[in-house]
Amino acid sequence: MLKTFKGGLHIPDNKNTRSCPIQAYPAPGKVAIPMQQHIGAPAVPLVKKGDYVKKGQLIGSFENGLSCPIHASVSGTVADIEMRNSYTGYGKTAYIIIENDFEDNLDESIKPYDGNPMQASPEQIVELVRKAGVCGLGGASFPTYAKIQSAIGKADEIIINCAECEPYITENHRLMLEEPQYILGGAEILMRATGAKHMTVAIENNKMDAVAVISEHIKSIKQASVQVLKTKYPQGDERQLMYAIKGVQMPAGKLPADVGCVIFNAETCVAVYHAVYNGMPLISTVVTIDGDAVEKPQNFRIPVGTSIEDVLSNCGGTKDSLCKIVSGGPMMGTAQWDMNAVIMKNTSAILALSDKTQDNHEGNCIHCGRCINACPMHLMPNYLAAFSKLGDKENAEYFNILSCVECGSCTYICPGNVPIVQYIRTVKGQILAEKKKAAEKAAKEKEAQSK
Amino acid sequence: MNNQNQGKLLTMTASPHIKSPIKTHNIMFDVIIALLPALFWAIYIFGFRSLTLTVISVVSCVLFEYLYRKIMRKSNTITDLSAVVTGILLAFCLPVSVSLWIPVVGAFFAIVIVKQLYGGIGKNVVNPALAARVFLFISFPSQLSGDAFTKPYEHLPAFSINVNITDEIRAGATPMAVIKNGVLPESSELSCMLGGIAGCIGEISATMLILGGIYLLLRKVITWHIPVTLLATVAVISFLFPLGDISGLEFMQYQLFSGGVVIGAVFMATDYVTSPVTAKGKVIFGIGCGLITMFIRYFGGYPEGVSFAILIMNLFVWYLDKGTKPICFGGARK
Repeated sequence: MLKTFKGGLHIPDNKNTRSCPIQAYPAPGKVAIPMQQHIGAPAVPLVKKGDYVKKGQLIGSFENGLSCPIHASVSGTVADIEMRNSYTGYGKTAYIIIENDFEDNLDESIKPYDGNPMQASPEQIVELVRKAGVCGLGGASFPTYAKIQSAIGKADEIIINCAECEPYITENHRLMLEEPQYILGGAEILMRATGAKHMTVAIENNKMDAVAVISEHIKSIKQASVQVLKTKYPQGDERQLMYAIKGVQMPAGKLPADVGCVIFNAETCVAVYHAVYNGMPLISTVVTIDGDAVEKPQNFRIPVGTSIEDVLSNCGGTKDSLCKIVSGGPMMGTAQWDMNAVIMKNTSAILALSDKTQDNHEGNCIHCGRCINACPMHLMPNYLAAFSKLGDKENAEYFNILSCVECGSCTYICPGNVPIVQYIRTVKGQILAEKKKAAEKAAKEKEAQSK
Repeated sequence: MNNQNQGKLLTMTASPHIKSPIKTHNIMFDVIIALLPALFWAIYIFGFRSLTLTVISVVSCVLFEYLYRKIMRKSNTITDLSAVVTGILLAFCLPVSVSLWIPVVGAFFAIVIVKQLYGGIGKNVVNPALAARVFLFISFPSQLSGDAFTKPYEHLPAFSINVNITDEIRAGATPMAVIKNGVLPESSELSCMLGGIAGCIGEISATMLILGGIYLLLRKVITWHIPVTLLATVAVISFLFPLGDISGLEFMQYQLFSGGVVIGAVFMATDYVTSPVTAKGKVIFGIGCGLITMFIRYFGGYPEGVSFAILIMNLFVWYLDKGTKPICFGGARK
């Protein structure tokens, strides 16, 4: 029996690009680099209009608290710094726009590690990873240095997440086939930094060629193994991944480190490898471009800040049936309203979907219970959606709305076409905001009393 | 980039951006397919009048749904096929001798009163077809009970509005009515099982209905929980407490196969809208339906109790769902 979790869905995986090698991307004429590509505080621009920047040069950072430095992905002149909508459409973010001079002048600060990186101390590794601006490339974009810090001394097990359960996306699959030494090299560094005693590389069984490659390369690492998992969405979610591998349910509101695990995405490992061995900051990312409205699906390694318009034109353009552009996977990605939206560090895919795939006519819930069977968090999405629609927060909380991870399984399977996640997300946000407000108020009152 | 797509307005929605191709109408279509064997059997036993009644019922259900939504300026929902299913099930609950206008009245009650006034598909509290059946049963008792049942293999005229039931074609009491008095019916257990008996159009053949049920199980439209627990409850109680001199085994077979238990268990109690969504809730629901059915059959004034039992249990669905809420992965987040 292959390991897996309870619930979830078997979605047609549409991995059309599984045999498309990762290609170098033709240098874009202009990049627009957002200062917020990570969880935490936005970086503050360190350059101004008219400055000349080199490739890999630090152009944005924020030192006091959780954040992630940002580097120039091309060399050239800063054409402007403008405020644009963030990619989720919520709030504004500064974008540094750089005109590419096509010289590829590398910043002097980028140089290989002096000595054997495998003898570096955890503190040194954390600092190198932080300076390189590495964040979680699986989607959530949590600063990797902070994740390492949270796991030091707590995690016995390091899990490399190569599940890649979202349909269409093949970037991790290609990385496993083409750059297994970097994935495992980065993983070894992370193992050293966190002090984990064992490494598990988790791969779904629709990528058996990658399993073979990784199994071959992993032999040189002591205390490491490959775990083949059943192909099922959302296998790559860290809760479900840990449950499948270790059989433990991560308690709500806790971190994987609290149950002795730390999980890194495969591409994050590659970024860590380059950050530590070569001093190379994270300035490009592997992206799968696919969808039924794109002419030539591809895998590219694209400089951060390249516009989606540029990316799609390098894939033969889009078909007339184009209806929606998604940044990320089809299940959890974000729809984009604008072709000027850019590739960010954590962008895993750009999907151009045709009108054929889109049916947004909302029907009624018929109470069939398919969403309940699909929910990996064992919730009752039908009632969550119904109460959310009514704005009934009390009942929504009774049905554990705050545990929803918004994986979209319920909405995918719903025969009534109810946008369940959308309803849940709205009310969940309201409840969390209210709780935050109440907590702040309580803290203030406490402060006032103590005075 | 194609010039046409430059500046094109893009669709913005929340994730997920892909959806399963299985929609409500696909599920309803599966239910319709599952009901066909019983319909063919009804035509074989009672003649084409059973088809006429079914068609009238389906057409009126769809028409009432269409007209109501039109008049109330709501979106048209007849394409989800749920009205068709209601129509078939309603006709299946009628004796073949009823006047042709009876299903029209039933369809109005089912679609307009029970379903649409509550908001349409998914919003009704009780099963529309069953509620309509009970409505007709108590409103037109002479049409739906007692002497209304005709003998099997007697084909009635397909298109005459009223049927004159002569003594020759009158079945007298149905097996269900006979056995309530502790007397063994004339029809054998086997003919009850196959369906060569007097009764309502769609409920006579347990075999054909179970065939449909197996299809629904294989297509994963329904789960085993409700049908199995309902049938098992009826079986156990009737086996333990037979009436009169009848042996437990014989009594059990008649209780299971000669009345409406099978159509109730497979098609009525499994109606998504009016049954619980959790596995535990479904088990309790099935047992509850079985218990109430047997209570009515033993102690009630009617020979039949499935419709009432399911309607009563329909009212408990919300509490069953709420009470059997699954334990959330990793415990609840506060």
